[in-house]
Amino acid sequence: MFTPPVTALRSAALLAVLGLGCACGAGADDATVVTVFAASSLTEALGELAEEFETANPGTRVRLNFAGSQILRLQLEQGAAADVFASANPDHVAALNAAELVGPAEVFAHNELALIVPVENPAQITAFDQLTRARRLVVAEPNVPAGRYTRELLRRANEQLVPGFGDEVLSRVVSEELNVRLVRAKVELGEADAAIVYMTDAESSGQVLRIDIPPAVNVRADYSVCLVADGRAGEAATRFVEFMLSDTGQAVLLRWGFGVE
Amino acid sequence: MARSSARNAGRLPLALAGATLLAILVVPVAALVLSSSPRDLAAGVQHPLFGPALWLSLRTTIVSLLIVVATGTPLAWWLAATKSRSARFVEILVDLPIVMPPAVVGIALLETFGRAGLFGPFLQYWQLQIPFSTIAVILAQVTVSAPFYVQAAAAAFRRVDPDLLLVARTLGQSATGAFVRVAVPMALPGLIGGAALAWARSLGEFGATLLFAGNLPGTTQTMPLAILLALESDVRAALAISLVLAAAAVLLLLALRVATARQWARGPGAEF
Repeated sequence: MFTPPVTALRSAALLAVLGLGCACGAGADDATVVTVFAASSLTEALGELAEEFETANPGTRVRLNFAGSQILRLQLEQGAAADVFASANPDHVAALNAAELVGPAEVFAHNELALIVPVENPAQITAFDQLTRARRLVVAEPNVPAGRYTRELLRRANEQLVPGFGDEVLSRVVSEELNVRLVRAKVELGEADAAIVYMTDAESSGQVLRIDIPPAVNVRADYSVCLVADGRAGEAATRFVEFMLSDTGQAVLLRWGFGVE
Repeated sequence: MARSSARNAGRLPLALAGATLLAILVVPVAALVLSSSPRDLAAGVQHPLFGPALWLSLRTTIVSLLIVVATGTPLAWWLAATKSRSARFVEILVDLPIVMPPAVVGIALLETFGRAGLFGPFLQYWQLQIPFSTIAVILAQVTVSAPFYVQAAAAAFRRVDPDLLLVARTLGQSATGAFVRVAVPMALPGLIGGAALAWARSLGEFGATLLFAGNLPGTTQTMPLAILLALESDVRAALAISLVLAAAAVLLLLALRVATARQWARGPGAEF
């Protein structure tokens, strides 16, 4: 370098400070923006819900960020700016709540698991107990809520269906995906013989065949929503959560196949 | 004296810009090293994700590097020796994976080797399944890393004096003999540099692997994929894997400097 290192470092620090200053200033906007972090399986339902909310609340915009709940939790732990967190699993919310990063949670919908196969159905699976016919099975990885529910389902199948059935099924897994929509995509692409996703994911795709899972072994997934502690949307965020829990909001969720109380 | 300070003043903004970039490049690596204590590192290394991912990354990157070198060297030689327009066109094709986002490469590979892909029926007939297999990991690595090797190798071959090859031929060497005994040794520093770049790119390959090969510990979960997975369960493991990859990169750079410096010093390319 041409300059002594101390001078260079100081100027680098100065530039960094200037850069941060600009970033803060750009945040101001006329409309109040509610940033919602939500589980992948809520993609369509919350998309429609947000539109209805925006219509009912002029001047308020909703920004949606979908990913596996475990990734959203990680982002929130790392200080990502959000106002509302809707998780497919109460555990992730509870962990954030224990760290005082989010407020108390409320269950707003529930879901269950379903088996999906490609339309061509290469492994010719027509019932849940034929799942061992699949040579290439795709599930969500264990930290993804859907992945955790899948393993609970297979544990129950071990006990209640055929001993060892769940273990046999797990041995057919060729990929553990990072969110439930990536799991479904592998079946839509025809790469997987079968996959386990939420009932709502199966219903909202026209490119897969759905196979119901016996109620005795199926798992109920509770979705909970909470306010992020240092959210900046304030009262608008509270209104969005209330909207999710309102009759209008619940009707939207019901329309997309979610269970509501 | 006055003149030199005036010149320095003119240089200051440039120096500032350069120093800023240097800080952006170096500070995160320093932060990575500082962020974990030796105990964290030990815990991370013992994490169940760590061992299988390291072993898989080593195996797959070595195999993909061998494939890249074995197939890339003749191609680079041809590109260097051929002046035709078709060679320039092929050169552009070779560079494609560098400019394409890895996610695009992943989808493209699925559309080629997937069940519903171009070769799908053929592969089905032979009961071959590429996606979700270790072969898929290697294919992804070869695709994204080969251009780096071919580019470097072609540049190195272009610097080989054609007269020397002619002399070798007049001394009784076959075309292949001249290539192996004269061209390759003379281009060796460039070949090694290209191979190192290609290996590093393979080791870091993430996007195409995730889409095309999926994610299964021991089979397709390489170290970059394991970092993402570990972040969700045990941050210490993610840091440990990151540190190992960063250390591998630093060692690679150092080894490269030493190897090529020696080659330049004593090799026939010393005039450069």
